[in-house]
Amino acid sequence: MTEVGTLTAIRALFPVLAALSSLALVPLIRLWRGSERDDAAAYATFGVQLLLLATSVGAALAGAGYLSTLKVGQITIDPSEPGRLLVLLGGIVFAVIVGAGEGRRAGTMGQIALFGIAAIDLALAIPSGIAPIALLLFASLGISGTAASGKDDVGRARAVFRDLRTVSLLLPAVVIAEILRTAISYAAVDASYATPASLAAGTALGVSLVLIAAAGVFPFHGRLIKIFEALPIVGSLLVGVWIPSALALIVMSELSALASSITDPLGGAIVPGILLAGAATLIFGAVSALLHDDIGEIVGFMAVANSGWLALAAAAALQSPTDTSSRLIVLPGMLTISLFGLWLVSVRRRYGTTSIRELGGWARRTSANGIALIAAIVALAALPPGAVLAARLNLLLLGGNPLIAIFAVIGQVTLIVAAIRLLLVGFTPQSQTVHEAETRPFANLITISLVAGSLFVAAAAAGWLALESGGTGPLPPAPSVSPAASFDPVPSSEPSIEPTPSVSASPEVSPDVSPSGSGEISPAP
Amino acid sequence: MPSFELPLVLIAILAGTLAVTSAGRGAWVAIALLALTSSALEFSIADPNHISLILRLSAIGIGLAAALPENLFEREALRRDLALGTLVRTLRDHPVVVASAVAGLLLGLVPLALPIESSSDALRAAGIALLVVGLPPLLTSRFIEATTRAAVVTLSGTLLLRTSIFGALDPLGALAIAAGFTCILVVGGSVATRISNAEEER
Repeated sequence: MTEVGTLTAIRALFPVLAALSSLALVPLIRLWRGSERDDAAAYATFGVQLLLLATSVGAALAGAGYLSTLKVGQITIDPSEPGRLLVLLGGIVFAVIVGAGEGRRAGTMGQIALFGIAAIDLALAIPSGIAPIALLLFASLGISGTAASGKDDVGRARAVFRDLRTVSLLLPAVVIAEILRTAISYAAVDASYATPASLAAGTALGVSLVLIAAAGVFPFHGRLIKIFEALPIVGSLLVGVWIPSALALIVMSELSALASSITDPLGGAIVPGILLAGAATLIFGAVSALLHDDIGEIVGFMAVANSGWLALAAAAALQSPTDTSSRLIVLPGMLTISLFGLWLVSVRRRYGTTSIRELGGWARRTSANGIALIAAIVALAALPPGAVLAARLNLLLLGGNPLIAIFAVIGQVTLIVAAIRLLLVGFTPQSQTVHEAETRPFANLITISLVAGSLFVAAAAAGWLALESGGTGPLPPAPSVSPAASFDPVPSSEPSIEPTPSVSASPEVSPDVSPSGSGEISPAP
Repeated sequence: MPSFELPLVLIAILAGTLAVTSAGRGAWVAIALLALTSSALEFSIADPNHISLILRLSAIGIGLAAALPENLFEREALRRDLALGTLVRTLRDHPVVVASAVAGLLLGLVPLALPIESSSDALRAAGIALLVVGLPPLLTSRFIEATTRAAVVTLSGTLLLRTSIFGALDPLGALAIAAGFTCILVVGGSVATRISNAEEER
């Protein structure tokens, strides 16, 4: 490989290389400090934090330009703007979370975070098809399995088992969607097939199902709640929020291309169904967050509510394929839930409990945690009003159903109320648990990084830094794959319309729809 | 290869059926056989350099090595569990699964009004039969090892169905799916071990 080729490979695969290097770094640090010594875990954690930050900086420097596009034979790895942005922010977010979590397994959690963001970057760099979706789903399963591997906890094991079942069921859905999508192009020239609109509806259903189940949209919310109950916070955030959000970007890109390729409205009740599921999830998550008394469960329900927004965004991508609002809300949502996760891990570490009843006065005792939660609330409310809030309102308008819009607004307001309730608990008289807890002085590295990290992430999530627009960047286009040798479509025995490449054969389909072995459809201009 | 296609398809379906109906040794041997036959069917024609086939077999081999229960290879027990009479009795005890496999095979042979009408009949039939056999236990089983095996059967069926229409996976797709097979087997094995350890402690 030439020098230029090597540099290109490093740029394209930087997060993956950083994740792999952690496999050597952590054992080396433990060897250096001696595994019996108390500070070995602290040094390993610090090393992994540095690697996370280096990944973040490296991904930002490598960027998503043509210099980072690696081609080896038939394989193309073309890092995308959203992927690199997720690595940039993910490195910072998880470095702070790992630091706040401390403990014996913090280094391992950092390694899990490195592999998680590397998988996200790689998936968003692979041309669309089955590979990126499979990569994300299996990465999710691997991460939940590794994150749960610390102890023989039945609850954790069952959460992973549930994940295994979900992932195994979603792959067939993707393949069926792929088959139906291929049929759309044939429906344009052969009337014996179902109509393009109904085939597109089937494809949209299959692809959306992947998002709905992976993200934890109602009625699949149980999986997400179990994940947040059972797994450590780094694993929960990656499996429950970050990977589903990356999956959402791929799915929305696919849905936009699909909706662009047909001129008729989608058949079936796909869009209303997704809208309804989204609004129900948002309301359910918000009300549950308000009614529960365990901060771990509350953050889990907030993640459920966030997945409701993802469903609403998927419906909007189908309704209005050219509008970028649907992809604009993905990044702020995941950053906001990550902030709540950061606050959760910090409070749990300090007070050793997750029950609200035992956390009275926590904000007065540890003001840094108070700042972290206020930052999370600001991010949740997307204040001051800007691009993120405008995108959310636009989604509701695109949905075109006032009832759904009202439910979504009520859900979001309830969610903010649930978060404010957590903050108010922090200003009540101190409970025995809070009073007796050991605290550290404000001026130390972990506290300062907690405050600075919270403010930075909140600024990115609320739209002050205008980073979120990077999440709307294009993903690598679908490759043009030749049909299989055995795949030689023939018209049905009694075609009512002569097969012809001309557009005039079917006025329902836009001109750019052409048969392709990979089942990809080019979007209409 | 086409001359071997039909026997391989029948072996894959039989192995898939045994993988979800047997317990212990028989099921794991059936999974290994299914992996071999379905991979051979999937990559035999389209991939001249066989890298994807080697990758898939290595991945499943690693996964099986991690997931296999202890004492699997005790010679006497293995001989007893793999005796023809035992296997026939297992299939006879699960008539619904056997009927599902046959129905899936027949259903797969009938062309539908989709592009699959011109796809490879044998691969399509094997794919649909394995899907029909693997999906019910994947959805309903409460046993982790059985669910893991059902996941492998379902995924193999899905990939055979896909191959019958689109041809073999591209290199990145093959890599992702190979990693997925390993992931399912390793995670399934580790979850099963952890739950049985926790139950023993309790």
